[in-house]
Order: sequence, then C-alpha cells, then structure tokens
Amino acid sequence: MLNKATMGASILATAMSVGAGVADTSDKRIALSNNYAGNSWRQAMLGSWDKVTSAAVADGVVAEAPAFTTAENQVTEQAAQIQNMILEGYDAIVINAASPDALNGAVKQACDAGIVVVSFDGIVTEPCAYRIAVDFKAMGRLEVDYLATRLNGGNLLEIRGLAGVFVDDEISAGIHEGVAAHSQFKIVGSVHGDWAQDVAQKAVAGILPSLPEVAGVVTQGGDGYGAAQAFAAAGRPTPLIVMGNRYDELQWWKEQKDANGYETISVSIAPGVSTLAFWVAQMVLDGKDVPQDLTVPFLQISQDTLEESLANTQPGGVANVEYSLEDAMAVVAGK
Amino acid sequence: MSVIRVLSGRAWVWSFLGMFLVWLVTAVYTGGKGSADVITAALSFATFTVIVGIGQMFVITTGPGNVDLSIPSTIALSGAVAMKLMGSSNDMLAIGLAASLGCGLAVGIFNYLLIRVLRIPPIIATLSSSFLILSTAIAYGRGLKIKPPPMLAEFTTAQVGGVPILAIVIILFAILMSVVLNRTVYGRSVLAIGQNMRAAWLAGINVERIRFMTYVLSALLAAICGFLLSGFSGGASLNMGQEYLLASIAVVVIGGTSVAGGKANVPGIWGAAMFMFLLVTMLNTLGASAGIRLIMTGLIIVAVITIAGGDEPQR
Repeated sequence: MLNKATMGASILATAMSVGAGVADTSDKRIALSNNYAGNSWRQAMLGSWDKVTSAAVADGVVAEAPAFTTAENQVTEQAAQIQNMILEGYDAIVINAASPDALNGAVKQACDAGIVVVSFDGIVTEPCAYRIAVDFKAMGRLEVDYLATRLNGGNLLEIRGLAGVFVDDEISAGIHEGVAAHSQFKIVGSVHGDWAQDVAQKAVAGILPSLPEVAGVVTQGGDGYGAAQAFAAAGRPTPLIVMGNRYDELQWWKEQKDANGYETISVSIAPGVSTLAFWVAQMVLDGKDVPQDLTVPFLQISQDTLEESLANTQPGGVANVEYSLEDAMAVVAGK
Repeated sequence: MSVIRVLSGRAWVWSFLGMFLVWLVTAVYTGGKGSADVITAALSFATFTVIVGIGQMFVITTGPGNVDLSIPSTIALSGAVAMKLMGSSNDMLAIGLAASLGCGLAVGIFNYLLIRVLRIPPIIATLSSSFLILSTAIAYGRGLKIKPPPMLAEFTTAQVGGVPILAIVIILFAILMSVVLNRTVYGRSVLAIGQNMRAAWLAGINVERIRFMTYVLSALLAAICGFLLSGFSGGASLNMGQEYLLASIAVVVIGGTSVAGGKANVPGIWGAAMFMFLLVTMLNTLGASAGIRLIMTGLIIVAVITIAGGDEPQR
C-alpha cells in the first residue's frame, strides 16, 4: 500500500478527493522539531520529511513545512526550539522528542497558543499532544515468535539498544515476554549494541568466547550485521540472526541467502513515519477527527520480499516507506 | 616496601595489573572457556583505542587545559571521506588513505588556528570544531555505508595464531612513539612544555610550533583510526567515533599519564585500552545490568586513577 509508485498517484487522488481539505490548510505552516540527526535512520527520516512535504507545499496542501534539528540532543535546547516555533507562529509542530516528559512544559505552551502538536517515534506524554507510537513490545515478541517457528529451542543472545532509553526497555521486555511464552528458549547473554553496527560487533566479540553454542540472536535493529561479523571473526557457526532493516544487514542477508539459503526476518520502524506525523498534523488542522494516540505498524521484511526491499533501499540507509495522506487516513481509521 | 616504590614509580604497571585481574575474574567465572579468544578480541578492539589514545596523550601532556575533543568527529569524517572516495575498490586504497590523512591534517591545522589565532581555550576550540567536522561528515556522507576495499578489510581483520596483525603493527607503532616521546627533541619538548611552559620558552623551545605539531599529530592519528576502523567494521558510519571521546582520555589517564601534563607514558595506554575492553566483557559475562555496568566502570576507573596517580608528591 505504501510503495513509491503509488505515491504520486495517491497524492493526486488525495488532492481531488479531499479538495476542501486543500483549501483549508493551504495557508498553514507546519514545523518539524527534531532532536538528533547523527545516524542513518534519522538522515532517512529527514529525507522522507523533505520529499513528502516539499511535494505537499508544491501542491498547495500547506504553505510551508521546514525541518529543524537541535545540535546537541539536549532537552533544554529542544524546549527553546519549540518556544521559538511558538513565537514564529507555526500552526502545527511535529516533534521527535529528546525526552518523553521533559518537553511537556514547552508542549503545553504550544497547545495553549492554539498550536497542534504531533509527536512521533520519540513521543511526549503531555495529554494535549498527539502521539504516533510504535508497539515496541510487540516487536520484541514477534522476534521470538518467529524463532519458535524456525528452531526447536536453544540458546539466545540478546543485543539491546542504548541503555536507559524507553525504546530499549520496551523491545527487551517484549523479547523476555516472548521467551517466557516459548520456554524452549533461554537467553544466555545480553549486551548493549547501542543500535550501532560497530558497537554491537565489539560487544558481541567480547562476550562470545564465554558463551555456549548460540542458536539465535534477537536484536533491536542496526546491530545484526555487527553480530554476524563478530560470529564470523570468532569462527563460530552463524546463528539465526533477526535483522533490523538496515542496508548492510539486508545486503549481508542477501549474500548469505544466495550462498547457502540463509533464512531470517527483518523488522524495524520505517523512518518515513515522520511523513505520517506530517499528514496527521495536516488532518488535525483540516478539522478531521483524529484520535490522540495512534499506533504505527512496523515494517517487516521476509525471505520473499528481501530482494525488492534491498533494491529500494539506499546504500547505507534503512528500508523505508513514505506515507501518503490516504495511508495516514487508513492508520487513523485503525485499518 | 621497595617493590611498591618501584611499582608506583612505573604507573603503567597498574593498568596491566588491572587488565590481568579482570581477565582472571572472567576466566574463573567461565571455567577457562574461551579465555584465549577473549584476549584476541581485546587486542583487536584495543588497537583502535590505542591509536587515538597516543594522540590524546601528547595533547594532554602539553599541559593543563590541553585536550582534543574533536577526535570522534575526525574519525567519522575521515572514515566517510575515505570510504566514499574508494568506493570498495582496491586500486583506490592509496588515494583513500591520502584523503583520510588530508582530513586529519586539515582538522589539526584548524584546531590549532582556533587556539592560537582566536585564543580560544583548547577544550572549547576542539569541541566547537567537532560540530563543524561532524556536520561536514553528515553533509558529505549522508550516513551512507559503503563497504571498504577487500584488501583493507582483510588487513584490518587478519590474524596470526590468534594475534591480530593490526595489533602487532600498532604495538610496533607504540614502541616508536615511546622513543619519540623520550628520546627526540620533539618529545622532550612536549614534556618540558607540560611541566612549565614559561621555563620551556626561556630554555629556547619553540612552544607554539610544538603545540601546533601536537594538535596535528592527534588529528592525524584520529584520521588513521577512522580509516582503519571503517575497514575493520565493514564501512564508515556517522556515530562510529562516539565512544572514543571518553575512551581516548580514560586510557591516557589510567595508563599513567599525568592529567596535569608534563609526564607521559606510552605502554600504559595499551594496558589501559585492554583493561577497558576486558572490564566491559567481564561485566557482560557476569550478567550485570547496564546500570550496574556503568556504575562499576566509573568506580573502577576512579579507583585505578587514585591508585596509579597517588604516587609522586608534587615538586
């Protein structure tokens, strides 16, 4: 439903089907407040935002939709940024937040000034804001459920994300729920890979010599390729590693698939979720009825869709989908 | 008594002692399983910390306030530029390395100009230049991950009898730098400046030239680290230098170099880099949670610095 070929068509269809909506928001200004840009996921997220919003501006759906990123990933800095946006009189602010609660004051000020606030990925808890969250726990459970269909049980190595971050706790909790449900699995080691390939490689290389045979590796995305390299460097058989949609992971998977029929799944959040947030903000400005809390589906790649996903992913990037207004309406309608 | 005095005179001994202890705890806990492989892994990863650690050591040794905070972003820029230029082709290896060194040279000169011409304190100067450098890397590479040329990947991951080739090269390099520090005019000048800049100047040392060379050296080593690290880990990424900010300073200090400057030690950097890796491995193996691990890492570093640093009374 989300591939690029239908993008243009759906925007066109959108322009015709909600003609009234175009008129209503054509003078509106939507700003993106982003806390961090230093990795490939965030780069893709900003790229998607730019692509979809510049088309929307060209089509007269909104007046402008600039993106702003703070330099230091600091809460205080982002709060000041949001306050500036309030003063500049934006109609809606889309936020990827540095903290779920520390920005609530600034978000409340924006709401009080009559500004629509939509948070996504890094969501804010302030009740007046809209939240586009991902069910990270379900993602963790899904990984173990998949392993259960492929293996008769065995030892698992868990690679976690950045310690202290909400997302890391959620995915890990989901994985542990999954392991509790499938008691044939046992987590024998857990390291923090910080969602980065090189950090994961280092951490796995360190713990691997002390581990018994590992049947599967559960990950959080960005760390699968590093784990594969660490296993290869240690001369250990390659276990079943769940991938996280990064180009290097998909490319490695493709190489293994061609060489020896290696089979796995890959699951993560599409960076294009920023464009879903954009459309949600536009719909709210348009007076549409949007629930305060929304859940986005994660992007899953299977053995059959690997080649297609790899071909559509930029080298060094993340498998991505961008949302059209129609897609956004489908998510809002809970479909 | 005399044994302790000899030991404390050689501050670097403590880092090797710490390294051996954490390795022993890990080995006992796992019943000796894979203990040799752990050393191999530690050697591979410590290599990169040692490269930037040596550069940082020279900078810190030039005296209080001197530190290079632009190392992580230089690693990212150098890796991104080299990988993009080489485009996974063996023929472009020399050009990639040259470009990488060019990045290092440019960063070093820029850092020094900020410090000297604009008279900005080194901490602020290198911190602000690191923003510029990382932004350049982001604008240039856009987070692209391009595979390294096969020859570079092979060289950085090759092993002989469980010892990584790269580690041997960097051990030889460390010995060379130890000679440079203790036996050359440049090295002695760095030590002299760190002990007393005015005295060094009165003794006829060209202080500014030495400081210039030191900041360039640190940036060059960071660039080399970025080049090798992208070969080792299958491509450059924007955040690959991040962990080397604190690590580069920590290995220098744990390795027995004085934070106040004027007293440096190269072998200790190797011991400290191995210690840092094995420490995380030990805590991972024991199944310590991330919170405990961070607290323990902090406490152990403080403990090591206290033991290793409390040797000589101030003159």
